[in-house]
Amino acid sequence: METTKQDRGQDRWISRGAPYILGTLVLLVTPLFLDTYGQGLMTRFLIFALFAMSFNIVFGYAGLMSLGHAAFFGAGGYTVALLKLHYDVNLFWISAPLGIVVATLVAAIFGIIALRASGIYFLLVTFALGQMLYSLAWNVKWLNSKGMQGITGITLPDLGIPGFTLNTIWFYYLALIFFLLSCVLLYRLVISPFGLALVGIREGEPRMEAVGYNTWYLKYASFVVSGAFAGLAGVLFAYYNFFVSPNHLGIATSFLPMVMTIMGGGGTFFGPVVGAAVFIFVENFASILSPQRWPLVLGALFVLTIMFAREGIGVYLWRLWTRWGPNYGSVKN
Amino acid sequence: MDWFVINLLNGISYGMVLFLIASGMSIVLGAMGITNLAHGAFYMVGAYAGWTVAVKWGAGFGLGLLAGGLCAGLVGLTIERGLLRYLYKKPNEQVLLTFGFVYILANLCLWIWGGWPRMPFTANFLTGSMEILGRAYPKARMAVIVVGLVLAIGLWWLQEKTRMGAIVRAGMDDKETTMGLGINLERAFALVFFVSAFIAGSAGVIGAQLLGVHNALGMDILLLALIVIIVGGVGSIQGALLGGVLIGVIDVFGKAIFPQLAMFTMYLTMIVVIIVRPAGLLGRKI
Amino acid sequence: MEALRIKALSKQFGGVDAVNDVSFTVNVGERLAIIGPNGAGKTTLFNLINGQLAPTAGRIHFFGQDVTSLPPHRRAHLGQARAFQVISLLQKLTVLQNTLLTINGTEPHRFDMFRPVKKFENVLQKAADTLKGLDLWEKQDEPVINLSYGEQRRLEIGLGLSMDPKLFLLDEPSAGLTKEESAEIIDIIKNLRTNITVLIVDHDMDMVFEVAERILVLHYGQLIADGDPDQIQADQKVREIYMGVEDAVDYAETA
Repeated sequence: METTKQDRGQDRWISRGAPYILGTLVLLVTPLFLDTYGQGLMTRFLIFALFAMSFNIVFGYAGLMSLGHAAFFGAGGYTVALLKLHYDVNLFWISAPLGIVVATLVAAIFGIIALRASGIYFLLVTFALGQMLYSLAWNVKWLNSKGMQGITGITLPDLGIPGFTLNTIWFYYLALIFFLLSCVLLYRLVISPFGLALVGIREGEPRMEAVGYNTWYLKYASFVVSGAFAGLAGVLFAYYNFFVSPNHLGIATSFLPMVMTIMGGGGTFFGPVVGAAVFIFVENFASILSPQRWPLVLGALFVLTIMFAREGIGVYLWRLWTRWGPNYGSVKN
Repeated sequence: MDWFVINLLNGISYGMVLFLIASGMSIVLGAMGITNLAHGAFYMVGAYAGWTVAVKWGAGFGLGLLAGGLCAGLVGLTIERGLLRYLYKKPNEQVLLTFGFVYILANLCLWIWGGWPRMPFTANFLTGSMEILGRAYPKARMAVIVVGLVLAIGLWWLQEKTRMGAIVRAGMDDKETTMGLGINLERAFALVFFVSAFIAGSAGVIGAQLLGVHNALGMDILLLALIVIIVGGVGSIQGALLGGVLIGVIDVFGKAIFPQLAMFTMYLTMIVVIIVRPAGLLGRKI
Repeated sequence: MEALRIKALSKQFGGVDAVNDVSFTVNVGERLAIIGPNGAGKTTLFNLINGQLAPTAGRIHFFGQDVTSLPPHRRAHLGQARAFQVISLLQKLTVLQNTLLTINGTEPHRFDMFRPVKKFENVLQKAADTLKGLDLWEKQDEPVINLSYGEQRRLEIGLGLSMDPKLFLLDEPSAGLTKEESAEIIDIIKNLRTNITVLIVDHDMDMVFEVAERILVLHYGQLIADGDPDQIQADQKVREIYMGVEDAVDYAETA
């Protein structure tokens, strides 16, 4: 069967690119048909999808299970919040970069400590470090609004454009821009030599060492890069939520990207995105139906995911697409 | 001098509770290679069950202790036999599953017992104080130290000197060969997990006087256990004991000298140990 | 020029001397085999030379440089390559991915986070050449786990060579292979360029005697013999270890 190289190239593009183009279109267009609540929900999805993708670099690609990722997420959010609280700074172009920088710094410091440990210890240490920040945020007065836990009074940011103020839907599009930008950057990271090396470390660190890779440095770098993107997610979160609390630094939040990633398919690029979508969806409906029993549902979700969807829902969906979708020859995963 | 001794005793008794909390988790982690993040939740279940039996039904501390241990043990056993046994060599999945149970158990406790925390409680015959170096010291706290030591010796003996301990250690190293020798490894593992959960539940009852009974315990206790394990090292009773007592003493003295530092002395100790001895002070290879 | 100089090297595990006061020198281009019964310390010795283990005593000099405390990845850059006893290839990854990873390992761009792997023409070319030379180009997209054991061995050795090493450590290259596959490996080793120094650990005596110019014998961590194949075959101590008590008795009777 003869197909020209051009045909095959185009086929690959359509069969592999289609879901992504479709997805982007959906993201662009849907909010226009939703009310502010729906738009807020989609913003929340973007934020957590980004958070989960950042986590996936360390977890799915490098194979390190970090249970303290909210430390970077929260650091980004708290930077925005503190700038507003103490210095009345609301300019996006100041708060956001600073938030990312602070998150990256936290990751840089935590990385050095955590990477002293290996295997299960790494997990325990990242957990404890995250809780340490939680504890700090709980106890240090300067990190809280007067008389309460956490910082309130955050508003949508000022973009410095005269005569233009953000509203819910415009903030959504702002978040979307950063989300798509991050997708592109992270994708390039994943297909770069660095990204391939991370996978190599996950699959066999001793061999990687013997072949010339400084695996400590690679793991550390992945940790720091991941922290930067998690910080960006945290920055957007602060603006979306109007409120940050110590919980956003602790294990309760650290867990979310892990659940989302595993649910959607760890080690695949868009798995975390799918997982975030499923999670936000379930969370929304469960907490409406029964706000008291939501943690129970969440716990059950974890358990069910592990017992029945271990490879991730995203992977199942991809397989469905390749099996029943338009058949343009072999599609390589 | 008095101040020093009182705080030291407080530190040691708190440390004993920490030891009790961490020992079960450390054993399971070291001997079975299972990361059980629900361990704190077992403690919580035990505390609630113990309270119900000892205080609500007035059946006495001893029965409450037994009830707490059994309840937690059964919960643990069910989870292990029903779900966890399929995930023996998969740490990521274990983490997710057991953490799911933290949420589930916390919410169940909330459902059953409601949101109000229970008052700390202890045995009737242990109320009041005894004389230490001419000063009054609560009997109950002293009892904690004694119980902790007894348990430590008992567990150490189990770990090092009994056939069961050897079986589990062998099974961890080489499952197939051990099973090939006709040893029922599944049963051994189930027993170890049950014992670990039982200890956690009992710890919940013993520790109730210090740490209270409420449904955020699942997470709080887990964190304490992790810190003790990181400091003391995984897989050995000695490690859990050393880690527990060290952390307990440091925390109590830290809070006495710098009250505003709260848990930081604990975290600081943990960080120092990680940097200097990443496998924990008495860590065994997992 | 000395490729490798081992001085008083020792490694203790608990109370056990896995490697005990071993000293020897290897010249550039030598084909050196290390033999000994199981547990003699051969793989431990390799782990010390390659950096996976740190010695309890002694020093290792590689081309004049003291590498005793260098981690494995630095030794790879200095020119060491290794084929492991248990195939170290990343099983779930494809042949091509394994190849690219190995080639990139000594490339300066291995930390590049911005450009796709496929854009590095020289790497792709080298990968193609290597795989075609190994007759594995057709299987580039197969996960390594789907390859036969012999193919995996061939690939691991081939990838080690693609690193252009100065010293190649082969740990039991014939383990688990059929006669034909072993013969292939022998051919590969024999055809190696003369400026590559080769250290082989193996139990297959046919291979050892065919390929090695010089043989070291380890027993309980100690170096008990060092010589060319004829000397080793005649060595009484070696015969005792390998032939067992029976032969030693015979030998004593005939002596």
